Amino acid sequence: MSSHLLRQDFDPMVGGYVIIMVALAVGLRLSGRPAAVAARAARARQPSGPDLPPVTAAGWRRLAGHVAGTMLGGYLLLMVVVVLYYYLVARVGGAFIQSAFTGGALLIGLAAPVFAAASWLTERRRARATRKAQRPHPSS
Amino acid sequence: MAHHPLIGYLVWALLFGALFAWEGLALSHLSNYVPTLSDTFRAIMRYPFGRWALFALWLWFGWHIFVRGWHFLLRA
Repeated sequence: MSSHLLRQDFDPMVGGYVIIMVALAVGLRLSGRPAAVAARAARARQPSGPDLPPVTAAGWRRLAGHVAGTMLGGYLLLMVVVVLYYYLVARVGGAFIQSAFTGGALLIGLAAPVFAAASWLTERRRARATRKAQRPHPSS
Repeated sequence: MAHHPLIGYLVWALLFGALFAWEGLALSHLSNYVPTLSDTFRAIMRYPFGRWALFALWLWFGWHIFVRGWHFLLRA
C-alpha cells in the first residue's frame, strides 16, 4: 500500500516540484539580464500610486459597470459551456447544472463585495498618501 | 480515490513544468519576443469576450475547488 502510494502520488509530486523549482531558478537567473531589466524599468516609469489622479464618482460608476459586465458575461458564458457539456458530452451526476448555477452565483456573491471593499480601501489609502505627500513639510 | 497510471501524473507535472519554464523564458532576455503570462492576460483582457472567458475560467475553477463536492469541514 505505502510503496504503491509512493509510486503513484508522491513521486510525481516531487518530480513536478523539482521541475517547477528548476524552471523558476533558471528564470530568476535570466531575469537579471539587461533586456529584462530595461523592460521592467520601462514598466516602472508608468504612473502609479500617488502619481495617479483621484478617482471620481464617474470613475467609480465606470468601474462598477465594467466589473458587473465582466461578471455577468463570464457567468453566462460558463453556464452556456456547462449546459452544452452536460447535454453534448457527458451527463454528469450530482445535480451538475443546478450546482453550476447556484455555485457560480454564490462565488460571485462572495467575491463581488470583497473586491469592491478592497478597491475602495486601496483607493482611500492611495488618496491619503497623495494628500500626505502634497502637504507642506513643517520645517519648510 | 481512483488509481491512475503514473504516466498520467507525469504528463501533468511536465505540463506545469513547461508552463513555468516558458514564463521563466519570458521574464528573461527573450522578454522582447516572448510575452509573459501577465502580458498575455493583459492582451486577452483588452476585449470583452476575453474578460468573460477569463472570468468564466476563474468561476469554473472556484466552483470545482470550493463548491462542487464540498462537505462540511472537508468531511469525505
